[in-house]
Amino acid sequence: MLLARVEGSLIATRKHASFDGWRMVICQPINAAGGAEGPPQVAIDPHGAGLHQRVIISSDGAATRSAVGDPRSPARWLVIGVVDSEAG
Amino acid sequence: MRVGSVIGRVTLSQTIPAFCGARWLLISPFTRDHFQHRHNPPTGLSKDFSLVAYDDLGGGLGDTVGYVEGREAAMPFAQPTPVDAITVAIVDDVFYTPLA
Repeated sequence: MLLARVEGSLIATRKHASFDGWRMVICQPINAAGGAEGPPQVAIDPHGAGLHQRVIISSDGAATRSAVGDPRSPARWLVIGVVDSEAG
Repeated sequence: MRVGSVIGRVTLSQTIPAFCGARWLLISPFTRDHFQHRHNPPTGLSKDFSLVAYDDLGGGLGDTVGYVEGREAAMPFAQPTPVDAITVAIVDDVFYTPLA
């Protein structure tokens, strides 16, 4: 799981059927200070995270497959929560 | 999924039966720089390694595609298949607004 910031979204007409109807957001992994760490990842967002909101993304494909309801889905990254506040 | 641009195609003359008729794309991954300067992208290859991905969407040279790497890339196949990168979306539009 990574702490990330939502920095945009993607539109794709041609895509694997399991992505139909799901919002795909561009998530920039960040460190505690908010600095970018690593390449942006595109995650499926069932929570409706807003632009620049901090989220937790998970690379657990099994959880993503059950979220999209397709056991054959190649989806990997999933927004599993929107961050309210951080301490420390 | 990561996003990248298609910089070429790969064809195989000899392959395992599972890959007969498969299409392969050579993809150069987008880094943060590519998202930030989408209309004036860095020239040449991405800093990240290019990769070959299985393609069943029909992506072509110059397209922007989304691809998945790792175990999940083999999930769409009914039989166990040695694939670790697959295209999952042909990107029409990217909306990107980095935190100023």
